[in-house]
Amino acid sequence: MELLAVIIGIGIKSIIFIIGMFLLAAYLTLVERKFAGHVQQRPGPLHVGFHGLLQPIADALKVLTKEDIVPNFVDKYLFYLASLMAFVPAIMILAVIPFGEPITIFGYEVKPYISDVNVGLILALAFGSISIYGVIFAGWASNSKYPMIGGLRKAAVLIGYEVALGFALVGPIMLAGTFSLREIVEAQQGFFGAFIWYQPLAFVVFLFSILAETGRTPFDVQEAEAELVAGYNTEYSGMKFGLFPLAEWYIATFVLSAMAVILFFGGWNGPHIFGAVSPYIWFMLKLFLVFMFLLWVHWTLPRYRVDQITEIAWKVMLPLTFLNIFITAGIIIIKG
Amino acid sequence: MVKVKYLERPKLSNIERVFFADFLSGLKVTFKNLLRKTITTKYPYEKLTPPKRFRGTHAHRVKDGKEPPSFVVLEKFMEIHEGESRCVACYMCQQACPMPSLFKIEAQQLPNGKKRVTRFDMNLLNCLYCGLCVDACPVDCIIMTDEFENASDNRASCVIHMNDMCERGISFDKRRYNEPDRIWIDDKAREKLWGQIRWTYT
Repeated sequence: MELLAVIIGIGIKSIIFIIGMFLLAAYLTLVERKFAGHVQQRPGPLHVGFHGLLQPIADALKVLTKEDIVPNFVDKYLFYLASLMAFVPAIMILAVIPFGEPITIFGYEVKPYISDVNVGLILALAFGSISIYGVIFAGWASNSKYPMIGGLRKAAVLIGYEVALGFALVGPIMLAGTFSLREIVEAQQGFFGAFIWYQPLAFVVFLFSILAETGRTPFDVQEAEAELVAGYNTEYSGMKFGLFPLAEWYIATFVLSAMAVILFFGGWNGPHIFGAVSPYIWFMLKLFLVFMFLLWVHWTLPRYRVDQITEIAWKVMLPLTFLNIFITAGIIIIKG
Repeated sequence: MVKVKYLERPKLSNIERVFFADFLSGLKVTFKNLLRKTITTKYPYEKLTPPKRFRGTHAHRVKDGKEPPSFVVLEKFMEIHEGESRCVACYMCQQACPMPSLFKIEAQQLPNGKKRVTRFDMNLLNCLYCGLCVDACPVDCIIMTDEFENASDNRASCVIHMNDMCERGISFDKRRYNEPDRIWIDDKAREKLWGQIRWTYT
């Protein structure tokens, strides 16, 4: 009986998380479009609703009702699988991301996270790595040149930056002494407790890795509109196409920004000035700022060449993370 | 032989490299733009008035007492009443046009020996709006107006005729005949954007 209750509870929570993430991702498209517009001195979406507030819903309806064309000579099984393989792992990372401390509502203890496993960080990394398959499958199954090149480029970029990302996370893990994301947050108390002050190198590497993993601009070689038509999702249409940018640009960016907040900005820690909900407000505020920073970078910088990107990954970022680990370990040993 | 000039990349100092100086300067530019007001027009709801020299849909000026002297010379050979098109069917516009077949101009001789223009059609589907016909017109008849919304879903309505060209010319002259001929709407705005012009003093 108790097991059933746990299963139902987790099921409900997962559904809330997934639906919430969908809605959030839809509105993040609006945020991005508005931001991109104003950066280029144009207003962005304006007509559907007040200042385009209903635009995401209109877009969703449009994408869902579009004709879903599957080209003749694609590998059908992989073609269908790829859009899911790109999307599902991105949303699966949410399972281990804590959004705040447990609170008590009507006598029930509600935890604002689905699970608090003690290897949460590794799980998140693993899920992140799975999403490469979606991209490579999409590129391969499309049976076309541009998607193939796009998929391979993305694979090359991701292989480089996954390694750097993994090693960059070692610094905060060493400071916190745990893999559990919740305990990492609890290890950073106070304004100067945030790990960004102790791990600036790791943070820079992490930031670059987020940009590379989510294919945002300085590293968006995988879709490179000017060279490859739309990269690995050229042959896709309808909602199958919609899932790729949704997963990559919005959900993955959102989730990785949440990881950045948890690892470097002290998660939901902050002065209790909003009463009981202040942890959530702090978390969301920090998350939003990190997300906006990534958008800002995206809409500012031009694209690197693919060889430059992999070169930076292997020759700059990876040695930097090693240096960071070495320094951190030295300081931990000296201070005891 | 053509000589190639090789340019060095601007050198960054190490400090600039470590702190991503070029990234930061780029970010500064976008942030400044973010705070600026948008400069777009919400087109179907807001429409800018084009400058007077704008090369829009063609029109005919009518005989209204403001004709150039060249028209007065030709007038005695023509059967043109007050308020009718000034066109004397000289075919200068067709001669100047890079796509002459878009003009269909016809004139006939009346029993009293005068000439009357019976047809002046322009197929704007072939027109590239270069304005050479306007420069060629000896009697200041064919002009280009500030109307630019002439898209339509059938080919028939893309051909303009003498009557509607006259109407367009009358309305254009009523609106903008007395306006000084300048490219920019307001010179103050131009000054603000690109600074003042400095002439040499003598």
